[in-house]
Amino acid sequence: MLIIDCPYCGPRDQSEFSNGGEAHVKRPDGSADIGDREWGEYVFIRANPKGIFYERWVHSHGCRKWFNCVRDTSTDEILKIYKIDEERPKLDSFKNNVKTPSGEPNLGSGNFTVKK
Amino acid sequence: MSELNLTDNKFIQFHQKIGFKFDGVKYYGYKGDTIASALIRNNIKLIGRSFKYHRPRGFYTCGIEEPNALVQIISEFSEPNTRATIKKIYEGMEIESQNRWPSLETDIGGINNIFSPVFPAGFYYKTFMGPHKNFWKKIYEPIIRKAAGLGKPPKEFKAVSTHVNHNVDVTIVGGGLNGLIAAKSLIDTKFSVLLIDFDDQLGGILNNSNKVQSVNNQTPMDWISETVKDIENSKNIKILRNTLVTTYNYINHLIAVEDKFVGSRPLKDKVNSTLHKIRTDQVILSNGHIERFLSFQNNDLPGIMLCSSFEKYMCRYGVMPSKETVIFSNNSNSESLVFSLIKKGFKPKAYIDSRSGENIEPDLFDLIRKNDIPLYTNSQIKGAFGSKKLQKILVEDSSGRFNEIKTDFLCLSGGINPDVHLFTQSKGLLDWDEKDLTYKPAQAFQPTITLGSASGQFDFNSINKEINEKFDIFGIKPVQIDLELNTSHKFKIEKLWEVLPQKQTIWSKSFIDLQNDVTTKDIRQAISEGFDRIEHLKRYTTNSMGTDQGKISSINALGIVSDLLDKKVNEVGTTIYRPPYAPLSFAAIAGRNSYEYYDPERKSPIHNWHISNGAVFEDVGQWKRPWYFPINKYETMDDAVQRESKNVRENAGVLDGSTLGKIEIKGKDALAFMNLIYTNSFSKMKPGSSRYALMLGEDGMVKDDGIICKISDEHFIATTTTGGAATVLECMEEYAQTEWTNLNVYMNSITEQYATFNISGPKTRNIIEKVFPEVNFSNEAFPFMTFQFHEYEDTPIRILRASFTGEMGYEIYVPSNQAIKIWEKIINFGKEFGLKPYGTETMHLLRAEKGYIIVGQDTDGSVTPLDLGLDWMIGKSKKDFLGKRSLIRSDTVRKDRKQLVGILPINKNDKLEEGQHIILDKEIKTPMPMLGHITSCYQSPTLGHNFALAVIKNGQSLIGTKAFASTPELKTIEVEIVEPIFYDKKNTKLAS
Ligand SMILES: [Zn+2]
Repeated sequence: MLIIDCPYCGPRDQSEFSNGGEAHVKRPDGSADIGDREWGEYVFIRANPKGIFYERWVHSHGCRKWFNCVRDTSTDEILKIYKIDEERPKLDSFKNNVKTPSGEPNLGSGNFTVKK
Repeated sequence: MSELNLTDNKFIQFHQKIGFKFDGVKYYGYKGDTIASALIRNNIKLIGRSFKYHRPRGFYTCGIEEPNALVQIISEFSEPNTRATIKKIYEGMEIESQNRWPSLETDIGGINNIFSPVFPAGFYYKTFMGPHKNFWKKIYEPIIRKAAGLGKPPKEFKAVSTHVNHNVDVTIVGGGLNGLIAAKSLIDTKFSVLLIDFDDQLGGILNNSNKVQSVNNQTPMDWISETVKDIENSKNIKILRNTLVTTYNYINHLIAVEDKFVGSRPLKDKVNSTLHKIRTDQVILSNGHIERFLSFQNNDLPGIMLCSSFEKYMCRYGVMPSKETVIFSNNSNSESLVFSLIKKGFKPKAYIDSRSGENIEPDLFDLIRKNDIPLYTNSQIKGAFGSKKLQKILVEDSSGRFNEIKTDFLCLSGGINPDVHLFTQSKGLLDWDEKDLTYKPAQAFQPTITLGSASGQFDFNSINKEINEKFDIFGIKPVQIDLELNTSHKFKIEKLWEVLPQKQTIWSKSFIDLQNDVTTKDIRQAISEGFDRIEHLKRYTTNSMGTDQGKISSINALGIVSDLLDKKVNEVGTTIYRPPYAPLSFAAIAGRNSYEYYDPERKSPIHNWHISNGAVFEDVGQWKRPWYFPINKYETMDDAVQRESKNVRENAGVLDGSTLGKIEIKGKDALAFMNLIYTNSFSKMKPGSSRYALMLGEDGMVKDDGIICKISDEHFIATTTTGGAATVLECMEEYAQTEWTNLNVYMNSITEQYATFNISGPKTRNIIEKVFPEVNFSNEAFPFMTFQFHEYEDTPIRILRASFTGEMGYEIYVPSNQAIKIWEKIINFGKEFGLKPYGTETMHLLRAEKGYIIVGQDTDGSVTPLDLGLDWMIGKSKKDFLGKRSLIRSDTVRKDRKQLVGILPINKNDKLEEGQHIILDKEIKTPMPMLGHITSCYQSPTLGHNFALAVIKNGQSLIGTKAFASTPELKTIEVEIVEPIFYDKKNTKLAS
């Protein structure tokens, strides 16, 4: 279970939070000028990368505040937490651990052999 | 009895006899004994029958790694699969052996052993497939269900456990030699430390063997007591005894379970176990190692035990499993047993080593020679033989000759493994050590330090160096420990995984997994069938899939596979050890969250009134809602609902609607926000008026509905469905905080702050005028869909004219703490007008007659407002609201979408049923094309027959046509498709 550092309350157990999926997804307004594809992508399509991921969390059993988070999905390491109105941190400011050909992280599953 | 010196020590109180029952027979042991040590004292060798073949099994080990000795504790809610090798006895304990019938000695399931060719590797997979299907169902399954498996599930079970959270700097898992040294070095430092040991006695290897002669010139026992005393007196270290760390999660999160009643009968009203949830910055794993066994013919016979386990029974429990044992080894670990046996005067009957004389430890070699113990070097045990217990073994010596040795006991050592379960659970990586022939921790994934044999450091002389290097991060004083040893300080081993038998018969098996009855032959067969990847092989053979996870045998399987495939073990890989380390009872995990505390129960503020008035309750989410109010115990639900409904239509009824979600929205931009959240437009609404509103998801589907009251442009109160309250508030928060952050708006739940009473029926006005005489309820002063605030005896109340039944009605909102006062007033004043309370079932019936949907019953997340015929609720002039753009997606404008319609049976006596299909053909055939299904269905007291709501393809254009409804009996009922409204189509009653 993760420890999540709520920017308003401090570090708390994951069970107090809910995940809100990918962050920085811009909502087009609901007008008819928006094309089917653009709207469809907003409604139905989300990224699910292995590695660095910008995502949203809400402290649902706490202060009810939403915030953003950068997490390495291959190791579950939380790299940065920032408020919703703060600038999105640059991707190259994080060390991406996903290097092996199969996409497995250097660390984190099985033994040295299984990864090959 | 086979006992050593009977003077009390810190482990066993020999003056305190304890009586217990095993399979109905009374035995005696001593305070401190485990079930195993006590039974061994009583010369019991047979403890259970094996999982698949029902073969007789004895005690193979003396600890948590035990694969065989699982028993049922009758005196503790009949707790099954308890390890006899760790569970301590107490006066009056009742134990039963498992998996045998009719008795342990004569078990007829043993016939599986003879029929074993029908239980090969992959048996379950093969039999489930193809032509054997009926064979499985009719023959195998009934037999297997009866014969296979471990213990029986417990009875009359009530969890008595609690959870405790810890936040510490350092957690040391394992209080053996290395764990104690580590803890001692952290005494009175700035770190808060937890030292956890599974045993009630700290000291590990020092207690369980004679390997160490002295520590810092003290006897091991003196050193332990002094060290433990120092640790206990320190301010920063807490010791948890009898506590097993079962799980090592992400972010250094450990789960450990503490047994609060070791060696005594658990009390029913006391906490039996504590589940510790530990957060820590640094984990130190000093949880030692596990000895492996060896595979040869009949290596499962009672009377065969691991070397270090035998020594532990001697040193720790003062009991001799045998006075004359044979020893078979391929490594140094047997040396300590030989030393202990000779020291106590029980010379081994023979010593067999697969290594050559020059590779055996010189001290061990000398010891054996000096004591005239028959020595077989370069030799192997080809097989063990006996009926229900070991009687003789067959040894192939260095010259290839076969020697038969009569013996009732054999000690085995096949090498040792660092106990890496927790390390791999933490996602640490292992690497194969070609010299020590075992997987060792190589790279930690989390802040984890491994120490001593748990790290694969098998050399006693390296303890100081290792700990001082690894503890550098703490910045503490270096440790200096001086050990004097009785045995060689280094570990040496020669490869041996399996001895092939001289002759193979179906009677004799060479086991690789004792708990799951997997043989080395199964491994060969699986590989020959192509299951040569270790993870496949594991699942195909069930090797190491027992509750012991193959603690004494899984590495042997890797060795055998690597030889068969001619690959290095590191290339074969390991399977992954999973939490929990050892079986963890659900009772401990559940803690207090069981039975009435499993899920919160939410009750209306007038719940007690409902109870005293005979309400039958329905669970709606966590809420308890009155379902109906039977007049006596003979009235059925159907009768009560017909009566209650009729009364609302003829007189008046009152419903406790307090569970409806209520959200208060405030802020400068509240109006703009509400216009974005709901489909309706609230801009032109006058303050004091209200509106039925829909909320959509971004996909355009109906998510919730409710009534919105506009107090001003800056202040709204929204009601939601009972089940949707939390989701709607969350959705509002999400959009307010993440999407429309420029809007100044705040919202909060006021569901529990206000009770809601819905009065409806033709006599509503008569009643409500009596309850609130100062309020003018005339149509002019209080029109439909408006609300007013009033004071009632200093209680602020809000009255809303709205209706969910189709009758004229009012909803009264009262602060919860005043609710019962107003409710009783309404009931009392209503009596003369025939007012009766009604429940949720009547509410459902009445709203369906009126064609009002219930979100979640008539909709299922794939229904748009247009599908429901609610186009009028969409604010056409609004530029944007949740899901607006989706209403013109190609899928939502499709012509053949399922749409809401009403259904009436042609024959008025026919009974429709919810969930049944609407079809076009009278005859049911396969495949059966269907138009849609019935979402709500009731018997109407007003119409005098059944009616239903349904969602069917192209429904709106099918209105006026005929179709059929299926029945559960696969018959069809002719029906008419109609408008989804059955009562007061002109809405005259609402505004009356
Ligand atoms: Zn918070």
